[in-house]
Amino acid sequence: MNKKIIWILLAIASLIGLWNLIHDQSPNSDTDQDKLRYLSLAWQEQSIAANKAIVAEWNSQHPDMEVEYIQGTWNSIHDYLITTFETKETPDIFHYESAIIVDFAIRGFLADMRPYIGQEMYSDILDIAWESVTRSNGEICGIPFLMESFIVLYNREIFEKNGIEAPSFESPWTWDEMRQAALALTQDTDGDGSVDQWGVAMGLRSAANIIMNHSISFGGSFFTKENDLYTVRVGSAERPLLNLIMDMLYVERSMAPSSIGKTGAAMLPEFFSGKYAMMVGIGSWARQQIVENAPTGFRWGVIPPLKAQSQDIGINTQTLSIPSTSKRKEHAMAFISYMLNQENMALLAASDWMIPTRTSCLAMDEFRTVDDGWNIVNASVKFLQSGSWLGVPGYVEWKTRVANPIFQELFADRFTVDEAAERLETESNMVLSRYQRGGARW
Amino acid sequence: MIKKEGRITLNIKLKTLKRGARSAFIHLALMMFMIYLVFPLLWMVSLSLKPTPEIYSADPSLMPRTVSGEHYRSVLHEERVVRSILNSLYVGITSAALVVLVALPGAYALVRYKSYANNVVLGWILTSQIFPVILLMVPLYMILRSLSLTNSLLGLILVYVVWSMPFVLWMLHGYIKTIPIELEEAATIDGATRIQIVYRILVPVLLPAIGASMLFAFISAWNEFFLALVLLKSPDLLTIPVELAKFTGMEGQARTGPLAAASFIATIPSIVLFAAIQKWFSSGLVAGAVKN
Repeated sequence: MNKKIIWILLAIASLIGLWNLIHDQSPNSDTDQDKLRYLSLAWQEQSIAANKAIVAEWNSQHPDMEVEYIQGTWNSIHDYLITTFETKETPDIFHYESAIIVDFAIRGFLADMRPYIGQEMYSDILDIAWESVTRSNGEICGIPFLMESFIVLYNREIFEKNGIEAPSFESPWTWDEMRQAALALTQDTDGDGSVDQWGVAMGLRSAANIIMNHSISFGGSFFTKENDLYTVRVGSAERPLLNLIMDMLYVERSMAPSSIGKTGAAMLPEFFSGKYAMMVGIGSWARQQIVENAPTGFRWGVIPPLKAQSQDIGINTQTLSIPSTSKRKEHAMAFISYMLNQENMALLAASDWMIPTRTSCLAMDEFRTVDDGWNIVNASVKFLQSGSWLGVPGYVEWKTRVANPIFQELFADRFTVDEAAERLETESNMVLSRYQRGGARW
Repeated sequence: MIKKEGRITLNIKLKTLKRGARSAFIHLALMMFMIYLVFPLLWMVSLSLKPTPEIYSADPSLMPRTVSGEHYRSVLHEERVVRSILNSLYVGITSAALVVLVALPGAYALVRYKSYANNVVLGWILTSQIFPVILLMVPLYMILRSLSLTNSLLGLILVYVVWSMPFVLWMLHGYIKTIPIELEEAATIDGATRIQIVYRILVPVLLPAIGASMLFAFISAWNEFFLALVLLKSPDLLTIPVELAKFTGMEGQARTGPLAAASFIATIPSIVLFAAIQKWFSSGLVAGAVKN
């Protein structure tokens, strides 16, 4: 009996092995080696389909310069790229985000794309998007094609029931006005003594990103640069947002404590059920999830960026870059130019529900519709600003190993804002000084 | 006399009651443990059968309110899940078989041939477990590239064999140590050679250990993500963990329905394999082999 099982297992392995050998389409073969390799991070069905369609169209038009589509994943891309940079077996084109590729550029892993960028593309893409990928010496390390901004979503029905009118783009809410509305909307609807409807939810599981990007409207920057060295300071401009969140959580109790350990996507079921009246600091992509997955008849809207000193909010762009090891940079750029022409960029942005970086795309009707909030998301582009952290060496490590854990502990009420500020300054500067010993700068 | 009999009957009843209560408690604990183990699987199956809006319901239920096959259709139609399962099976079974084939004589030698080097080897086995995979990745990749074994399932199999080897060697070493030397001495008296002793006497006795080692090596290979991600480039060669990761997006988002459907499909082969070799785990094969 046991011998039989061994033989069966070996037979299965042999058959599968044979099948694999027959169908082996590894790029070691001559034809595949000629192909440009494009690593995409598209993950939603429509977005993958859009990417594949563009690649197929390119391949049919350029049989001598074919592109192989490779599917990457957001969770593993960083380790994957670092390994390929070190082993010099990089894809010719890869998709990632500006906040992280700046670090790759500093370390010399990326090609300067400036000589290859056509005038039409350069002038059509927003300056603020270029700023997110341009080094102080003028080198451009990626083509920004999608922009992400944080938005505020609200439940129309709850607003109407409570007589609260959502602010218009012309007359936006301040953070304090949002706070008052949240207090009014926090209710024990069934009278059992516990809150069933929270005014606000904020997905603060990866809090650093949200805090940094929103602090800009308070004039906060966290990073200061002196003598070419970055340090972290949590001063009077950085504290108001932290104080506001803590007050809403533990003094006024108008922010759902259940939301602070969640990511943006994980808050959606409660938003659909009416448990959260507003979601602050969620990506504009969330609108797609609402359109596709909300219960029939669910009515929602987008609130313009909240105002403190300004309505400014941090920008993060998704980019296409060429590694410095690529031997076919011109071909790779030719493909990128095609991939990101006006028509294709619009297709990619619409399929991912993110903001296109081309002004000509932003002028298209499909990015100005009212029902799904494109009108407000599009108009808010003027508030996008580059964060002071752009180009900080070691920013990724700082965010994941220092800022996120400290913010998580702060919002769990383990310590005060003052203590959090002190820890942030001490621990951050330990990490930053390690990176800044290197020498290369953004 | 009657009182004494009554006391004895009472004692017996109490003992039976105690035994019954103990048995009920053990069964209850086992049942709770089973629920704890099976619930994630049931939840995954439930998610895979729910239409997407129901997955986002704030009032989730284990039983789908509407049963839908849309995620299975989507997975089987669009993705390379089946192909990646076959790749994983091939890599998993082959590496599991190879690792046991190589580790068994090694473990035997470590147990039966006394040498000062034994402790060094065993120490090395433990030390080798300390290094994180990311640390070894670049040199490993370069070695495989020089052998033209990157982007090849054979290369991945070799890496998995090496990766599982220390632990399997350690496991088999522990098992072989428990086998009485008298068994081998008896075989030697009957004229068996060393190889015959290993494969004719030890292997049948070691079947549970071989089963456990193979299962460990198979599951390690089946679940391994990062090495496969970096070493394999061609979409047709990807293994199931790499394929499944494609259903996840940024900021904790995921295509939950298709991910659950693909995960369930991916679970089936390992469950079948486990069911097929679970008999090997029946212990007590050595019991009674030697009369003390």
